[in-house]
Amino acid sequence: MYGGDEVSAIVIDVGSYSCKAGYAGDDTPKCVFPSVVGSIEQTGDTDEAKPEKEADSGSDPKNGSKPMDVDKAKTKRKFYLGQELEFRREHMEVISPLKDGTVIDWEVVDNIWNHAFRRRLLINPEEHPMLIAEPSTNSGQQREKAAELMFEKYKVPALFLAKNAVLTSFASGRATSLVVDCGGGSTVVSAVHDGYVLQKSAATSPIGGEFLTDCMMKSLESKGVVIRPKYSFKKKEVRPGDYKVVDLDFPNTTDSYRLYCMRAIASDIKESVCRVPDTPFDEVAYANVPTTSYELPDGQTIEVGADRFKIPDILFNPYLSQTIPGIDGFGDSTSIRGLPRMVLDSVNRCDVDIRKELLSNILLSGGLSSILQIKERLEKEVLEESPQNARVKVLASGSSMERRFSVWIGGSILASLGSFQQMWFSKAEYEEHGVSYIQRKCP
Amino acid sequence: MANAASGMAVDDECKLKFLELKAKRTHRFIIYKIDDKKKMVVVEKVGEPALNYEDFAASLPTNECRYAIFDYDFVTEENCQKSKIFFVAWSPDTARVRSKMIYASSKERFKRELDGIQVELQATDPTEVGFDVIQGRAN
Ligand SMILES: Nc1ncnc2c1ncn2[C@@H]1O[C@H](COP(=O)(O)OP(=O)(O)OP(=O)(O)O)[C@@H](O)[C@H]1O
Ligand SMILES: [Mg+2]
Repeated sequence: MYGGDEVSAIVIDVGSYSCKAGYAGDDTPKCVFPSVVGSIEQTGDTDEAKPEKEADSGSDPKNGSKPMDVDKAKTKRKFYLGQELEFRREHMEVISPLKDGTVIDWEVVDNIWNHAFRRRLLINPEEHPMLIAEPSTNSGQQREKAAELMFEKYKVPALFLAKNAVLTSFASGRATSLVVDCGGGSTVVSAVHDGYVLQKSAATSPIGGEFLTDCMMKSLESKGVVIRPKYSFKKKEVRPGDYKVVDLDFPNTTDSYRLYCMRAIASDIKESVCRVPDTPFDEVAYANVPTTSYELPDGQTIEVGADRFKIPDILFNPYLSQTIPGIDGFGDSTSIRGLPRMVLDSVNRCDVDIRKELLSNILLSGGLSSILQIKERLEKEVLEESPQNARVKVLASGSSMERRFSVWIGGSILASLGSFQQMWFSKAEYEEHGVSYIQRKCP
Repeated sequence: MANAASGMAVDDECKLKFLELKAKRTHRFIIYKIDDKKKMVVVEKVGEPALNYEDFAASLPTNECRYAIFDYDFVTEENCQKSKIFFVAWSPDTARVRSKMIYASSKERFKRELDGIQVELQATDPTEVGFDVIQGRAN
């Protein structure tokens, strides 16, 4: 048991798109920053960047404890996080620590945690219990690694790992629900029953917000739109009030950085103009829909027409993405299902007795769920395919902040409950029972 | 085994009143609430056997969460007198998020204290605890 509820716990949700971190008990996370980082490989033995690195980066080699098998290759990398990503740097690559929801680069995760704690929240992790939100399908190995890093490196006094879907479900007042998390890297559907994720029901599709951003970008490109990253031009005043865009050339910019900047723009276009159509998208019927204009950073105004509806419809009809030039088909396209199908399959993999209850408690969450008309369309299509007498209800918070941060908010409340304090996996228990005890404490 | 649960304790009175309802049938319903200061689930109200379902439904506050037990008497098609014990997790959409969270994350542990629940309902608006729902779930 961990016995100190005087200091507030820290809650952190590292999603594939953004990291949300803050104090337990708060309504919203104190800091939200990208989950991707800039990375520059340090060549040769120039120690030039080293002192700074020790001060601000998470990887501290002197720290007596056995380093996680963080990165065997041992190329030194210098990382840039948060706002530092907004400045272009020579040879800086943009990398993500997660792939399909699992961590593939612990050194980067370590740096993200460190950035959140020491640079944004300005706290000493040794003093705060940590609640970490994790994907419903996280493997035992991944959980132990997270726990080991937290106890050994950050020396946290206590830890708890809670599943994304459970936190979202609890925050809506339901111990049983079907949680649909439309996030950045993926869309995950999982049934929660009496506070547990039913593993057999959990399904993941790669169609999340970022995939739609890519589709938007490629579709615009195929129509001749040139998206200029902000760093790549300058506006020059040729006559008072009259500007001319001058392209700048930076040959040492990496492709990944250029893409990152273009995606940021495409993402904003997507968020500003898209709306889920009421019925499946149809190329012919939508050929003449009124367009919406959008002004790009370089001052060009573009008109977005059918794509406003087509791009979000990909969530419902994944095959549509294959009509966009430059979007790679899914390896086995038949295994990628649209959202309503995922929901129904997931429900059908659960016990007959709880299916009705799941269908009437479908919870929409995640950043992408803020897209207009998604709730109505999902409810309509699930209803059409459900048993006659089933009551289908899709629920989503009226506030897009609450939809996007539902996982974090759930963690924030849980970790701040007085009665929860006995649930923590404490440092003493870690030392006594070892890291595998996490599986018992936080199943 | 622990879970992402609140760790909320349960007052002995909760169990006691439930046993009375089950064995002696001295109550029609029991309303439970979470006492924030005591950090435990306590009995808020009991309803005498003469009360009916409307009285029960009226005892659920509109803007706050509760747990409740209702003893439902009915007659089967074969003209058999029967009864079923319902557990209701009441969590209206208008309740505060914090309160919804506490009730949802304490439910599993609380329910385990009450041995003999036959049907369970989770309700977020009055239509989900309508009499028709109770009737429908009883068989
Ligand atoms: N209004 C909006 N319309 C469409 N998409 C949106 C909107 N607001 C946010 N998004 C998208 O939501 C995605 C981010 O969602 P979220 O913050 O839930 O992801 P995450 O938790 O980091 O990722 P994951 O849970 O998949 O690991 C981004 O792709 C963003 O473009
Ligand atoms: Mg997420």
